[in-house]
Amino acid sequence: MEAERVTSGRELPSSTAVPAGRLGRGETPAGLVPRQKGSLSAGRRPNRYAWEWWLWVAPGAVALAFVYLYPVLVLFRDSLYQITGYTSTFVGLRNYLYVLRDEQFHAAILHNVLLLLCVPILVVLSLVLAIVLYERVVGWQFYRTVLFLPYILAVPVASVVFSHLLQYGGVVNSFLRYIGLGWAAVDWLGSPKWALPTLMGIIVWKELGFGIVLFLARLLSLPQELFEAARVDGASWLQVHRYVTVPQLRDVIGFYVTVESITMLSWVFNYVYIVSNGTGGPGTSTLVTELYVYRKAFGYGAGVLGVASAASVLLFLGSILMIIWNLRRQKEALG
Amino acid sequence: MLQKFRLTVTAALLLGLVSSTAGCGGGKTPTAPREGPGTSASAPSAQPKEPVKLVMWWWGDQEAQGAKQWVDETIQEYQKLHPEVTIEAVLQTTDGLYPAFEAAAKAKKGPDIQYLWGGINTLGMAWQGYLAPISDYIPEQEWRHYLNHHEELYDGKLWSAPWYTQPSFPIVYNKELFAKAGLDPEKPPKSWDEFVAAAEKLKAAGITPLAGGLKDGWFGGWLFSVFGAQNLDSAEDIIQAVVSGDLTDRKYSEWVYKLAETIEKGYWNPDITSLELYQGLALWTQGKAAMTWVAGSDIRKFVTQMGAERVGVMTAPVFGRGKLAGTFGSTSQTLAITSFSQHKEQAADFIRFTHEPQRMKRFYEITGSIPADDRFPVEAITLPQQKEIFRWMTQNGGAYIENFIPAKLDSEGNFAGMQLLFSGSKKPDEVVQLLQDVVKKWRDENPAEVERFKSWKPNG
Repeated sequence: MEAERVTSGRELPSSTAVPAGRLGRGETPAGLVPRQKGSLSAGRRPNRYAWEWWLWVAPGAVALAFVYLYPVLVLFRDSLYQITGYTSTFVGLRNYLYVLRDEQFHAAILHNVLLLLCVPILVVLSLVLAIVLYERVVGWQFYRTVLFLPYILAVPVASVVFSHLLQYGGVVNSFLRYIGLGWAAVDWLGSPKWALPTLMGIIVWKELGFGIVLFLARLLSLPQELFEAARVDGASWLQVHRYVTVPQLRDVIGFYVTVESITMLSWVFNYVYIVSNGTGGPGTSTLVTELYVYRKAFGYGAGVLGVASAASVLLFLGSILMIIWNLRRQKEALG
Repeated sequence: MLQKFRLTVTAALLLGLVSSTAGCGGGKTPTAPREGPGTSASAPSAQPKEPVKLVMWWWGDQEAQGAKQWVDETIQEYQKLHPEVTIEAVLQTTDGLYPAFEAAAKAKKGPDIQYLWGGINTLGMAWQGYLAPISDYIPEQEWRHYLNHHEELYDGKLWSAPWYTQPSFPIVYNKELFAKAGLDPEKPPKSWDEFVAAAEKLKAAGITPLAGGLKDGWFGGWLFSVFGAQNLDSAEDIIQAVVSGDLTDRKYSEWVYKLAETIEKGYWNPDITSLELYQGLALWTQGKAAMTWVAGSDIRKFVTQMGAERVGVMTAPVFGRGKLAGTFGSTSQTLAITSFSQHKEQAADFIRFTHEPQRMKRFYEITGSIPADDRFPVEAITLPQQKEIFRWMTQNGGAYIENFIPAKLDSEGNFAGMQLLFSGSKKPDEVVQLLQDVVKKWRDENPAEVERFKSWKPNG
């Protein structure tokens, strides 16, 4: 190992440094020297180092606290008040009780959970289509562009277009009737039974392109030898992709699942708002948690900010629990 | 009570039958037309010494086509008279009109002048402290002329100034389709039984009797207004019901069962739940349905699109036994001054300017809507259908009850309930129970507003 170099309490990595992520337990990265009693880094300098650390971090920390922490604290505070215009009255946990008993909130949570069903559908469809494109079907570059196009369209544009296409007397139903499938012409967005599945279809259509491009990019970067070796060993088309492609895409699939899960839980507001004209209807059939909070805070005739805040806090706590659970799982997976 | 309403609602605007007692009768007094064009509507206007910028938020042509042109023109005229004043009119969407204002008002930012609907839609904002009482800036002898101002009165103050009237809501019918179905185009149905019989004949002739659109919910509120009032005697009835009554009582719920009857019999356009309000109404102008309801302020557009000779107007068929049964509701769309405006006097002066005779005359010329002012010359109204509507308002006016219920009951009860009823996913009993559940939740959720409702006496 090279001679240790210590500068201002910070040890420089050696040219042969091993990436920290690949170290075993108890190992020290090469070039980074454990602090020892009596060394420079263990004397007065660590104090200075700590002071410097705070100095460098402070602007970012203040900005983060202002942007994230302050609103969260205000949210917690507001959730305990009944807020009417410029006056607030402390009501304790009443807003929470209200939200927890509210059937609309229950419906909204349920719909968010149901929307998560889109994630496996998206993964499977994206994967299949990415593999088909990877197999270099004729015109695959054209198809790739076409399939990616919905993803770059603005959500409001897609939602408005589908709102018109899917009217009971709209283009889709007219076509179905024309080809003799009139029995399949349902009120896609006007029926409480069909509205949520239809919304899910629109979201899948819109989000599919992202998965395809993501998986295809990863596939194109894989060494061909892996596939050739599998084929030489007599693997069928299905086996090649089952035992070679999917394992190789595991990280990307994990990323896509995470992004899309977040989308289903907290990024579907604009789809729902436009498709249902802000009502979450018919009835409450497409109401999701974001829209619930919005309607409570700013909806026509609602203006119950305390209730909206309580719902937001509950969702925030729910998200924190899910993050903790996920982190624990990751930690366990790493051993 | 009813009499008071009748007198208030645009009171003898057209016919000039009643001599004016404006200025001494509060919101309950008749407000008959008394002065013709050229009569000044306002006191001497304020002339600021420093440059002043006013911002007005409103929603444009949505129910009075041409209103934007008129606003632009009025701002220009006002700025000519007041060179130190600049007015910026900012358009809002229907969905964004209230949320945007509430969000801005909470931060004490936003417009100086805000366009609002009447009744609870104004007072709800006033109760939150977002509005300054306009009666502090415009003298009573002036605002007493503003039609339907009783809806905006609370605690002895006027919280918003009526701008143009909204007769709510006439049914327009296609005379040719009536004739085709063997109905007398000059004798539209009046009672519920006649209405059902007419709808049956239309249906038998292959004509869709009724058109509407419920996807955005608003039409549900209209239906509540025209049918839900029929067993009530006054606006106080519905206020009492939401504060402490039971909406499942037949008195308040019969309208849901009547509507269910029309749905069951297939009188409506089958795509009603997948169409927005105006998409639904467009079916009527396209000749695809015999009848629909329209915003009274927009009647000229519908009549001229179809051709005046082909259009008849009628009121909602009567089935109820309350004093409001058979009456014709009306409200006014309003302009309010915000509590955080730095230029309240100037804002009030501009609002008063909109009631200048020349401005009102131009408003009618451009939009075909009637300004909410008893000094508007009734002889200016030329369209026969409009004359008919104003005859109903002045001789048979009633409360527009959607303005006297919590907006929550409207959006979560009427809007959602009608979507569920028309889509067939809820039975009338369930919809009625939904309305009661919503109002119970409102009492629980918003006790401060409940208290305000208790002390709200629209008829004095």
